Amino acid sequence: MISFWDVFKRSEKGTFIKEEKYDRMVGQVALELVQKYGIKYDSECVIPEDDDLADRVYQAGLELFLELGIYCRDTGRLIKFSREEVEWALKQAPTSVTYGQGPDERVMTYRTIEDSKPPFCLNTPVGCTVAEERFVPMVQSYAQEPLSDTFSSAFSQTVQGRPIKSGTPQEVEAAIWNVIKLREAARAAGRPHIGIHNLVSNAERTDATLAAVQAEFGAQPNDGLAVAANSEMKIDYERMKKVVFLRHTGYNKYGLYGPIMGGYAGGPEATAIVHVAHHFLGLLAFEVQWHDGFPLHLMQGCNSTRNLLWLISITGQALARNTHLLIGVGPFTAAGPCTEMVVHEIAAIVLAATVSGLHLNLVAVARNKLPERSTGMEARIGAETGHLVARQGVTRKQADGIVKQILAEYESQIPSAPEGKRLDECYNLETVQPTQEYLDLYERCKEKLDKFGLDYSIL
Amino acid sequence: MDLFEQIVEATVAGDQDRCVSLAQEVVSQGIDAFKAIEEGYSKGMSIVGEKFAQMEYFLPQLLTCADAMKAALEVLKSHLGEDLEGRTQGIVVLGTIQGDIHDLGKNIVKTMMQASGFVVHDLGCDVPVRQFIDKAEEVSADIIAASAILTTTMAHMPDLAGLLNEMDIRDNYIIMVGGAPVTPDYAKRAGADGYGENASEAVEVAKRLMIEKSKGGSQ
Repeated sequence: MISFWDVFKRSEKGTFIKEEKYDRMVGQVALELVQKYGIKYDSECVIPEDDDLADRVYQAGLELFLELGIYCRDTGRLIKFSREEVEWALKQAPTSVTYGQGPDERVMTYRTIEDSKPPFCLNTPVGCTVAEERFVPMVQSYAQEPLSDTFSSAFSQTVQGRPIKSGTPQEVEAAIWNVIKLREAARAAGRPHIGIHNLVSNAERTDATLAAVQAEFGAQPNDGLAVAANSEMKIDYERMKKVVFLRHTGYNKYGLYGPIMGGYAGGPEATAIVHVAHHFLGLLAFEVQWHDGFPLHLMQGCNSTRNLLWLISITGQALARNTHLLIGVGPFTAAGPCTEMVVHEIAAIVLAATVSGLHLNLVAVARNKLPERSTGMEARIGAETGHLVARQGVTRKQADGIVKQILAEYESQIPSAPEGKRLDECYNLETVQPTQEYLDLYERCKEKLDKFGLDYSIL
Repeated sequence: MDLFEQIVEATVAGDQDRCVSLAQEVVSQGIDAFKAIEEGYSKGMSIVGEKFAQMEYFLPQLLTCADAMKAALEVLKSHLGEDLEGRTQGIVVLGTIQGDIHDLGKNIVKTMMQASGFVVHDLGCDVPVRQFIDKAEEVSADIIAASAILTTTMAHMPDLAGLLNEMDIRDNYIIMVGGAPVTPDYAKRAGADGYGENASEAVEVAKRLMIEKSKGGSQ
């Protein structure tokens, strides 16, 4: 009923509007819909079990999408859709996506609220900056985790000693190097055919990305790429070029949406609505197979705050109740590796996500800002917690009680969260195994989380 | 409540009509327009900035308050006299650096800087280093401020100081940088004079650097 090329056509013919005006409209329309649908964030109910609230958030997100449309930054035009078109696209949306091959093949399928099926774990340092010589050990530490269904990339500070600059020939070289090194890490991890969900994350320009996604560099069928929207509700031709390539080649593609709580949308309620709307954007403009959100707190640069946990939970529930979309979330913590706080933050976000129908893209730590601060241990903590929450059958009500106890452990420390330790302080880089210090710290935290109600013994 | 207190209140409330009518009152009563700005509108925006930093206000409210202040300043503009430029905090050339299309943080910095009395020339996104410098030369800027959200685009930041040095005009400008991947350490290595972790900090750093510049301090 509607194709990618219809969307492209609308990007050339839609109503022209200045970008600043559109940015303002997002907040205005979202606020109106918050009021119309009576959506209210309750700081005392972090993981709501209010189905009606979830449905209202969904309806408001759909209405916002229909009213605002998507903004195309290249043309300054609005791309609008009818309700029928959105409903048709939702019906056509994939029910599964396969990553990897052979023994490393993994299939992501739709999860319901309070699903006992464990979340799919796409483990990655989320582009954490790392020295070139430590790139492979860093990403290997993710690929080798038994619960990693896929893995993805760090960001090497240099490639062949040269810094990577966007838009230069070096960016193309770096993108190719990135794919080669990711597959090298997969082999080193003993999982040569594990899926790489985002083959290139160190190139902003699409020409560099497309140059790198080639079989001779290590890309395999069932690997994929992310296609990101611009916050809020905007797309551009640079991203749409990727879509064309992916439509022809058959690599997997997923949508990446990072709405900013406190930004153009406004507060947690309005940002929740806008986050739901981003999923329609990804489905219709990018034709993605699954959707990865990483809503962030404007000031804290993480999503472990109380209001972001609520937002993650309610948007997951809204989409899981009303669609069969494959949806996930990327936890972002304030604290860095090898700290009790990072374990607590990951546990809180994963808990909120897992009971709300979401998969997990694990995990950005230290606000995804500090070099060398990201390790496979954080992915292990997230994946294990996600698996146990599902298998233990934790309900939303139970999760709400547990998450508030976890929040009490770290909430006040978010603005001054510890930076944590570097990769070389957390892992033996010869063996690519975590230090006893980190393992002991995780054990201590598990004992505490066990008292809160998470039973790690079932793993 | 005196007039300046009313202006502060109206600004914090983002009440554009009231901000404008109070500005008209300032003019009709012959009150010093600069004093009204400093002790009224700017003071109000400073409170708005604090509320924003604490997330009591979100960006839509910040923009509404800034709009209210701007509308009032339009009324006062013709009463500010000829030395308007001399009484601004400084002239800033601002943009998101080459290759980077993310502009939320940059736009917040722009709003906060304007509200604090800086004249801001916003070059938008994906701005080549050369364009920052050309604009700075054209408008005799005090500050060149660049933002990046990606590590690959952040890598262009050192070229700002590098090219200014090559052109032998480095001392004419204060360089400020910021954005998600930028750390104070990186800012220093990139040859920047200032760094802001967030918009409020960026404004404070810009003010401090302008004071140092006016005293002839090294940048």
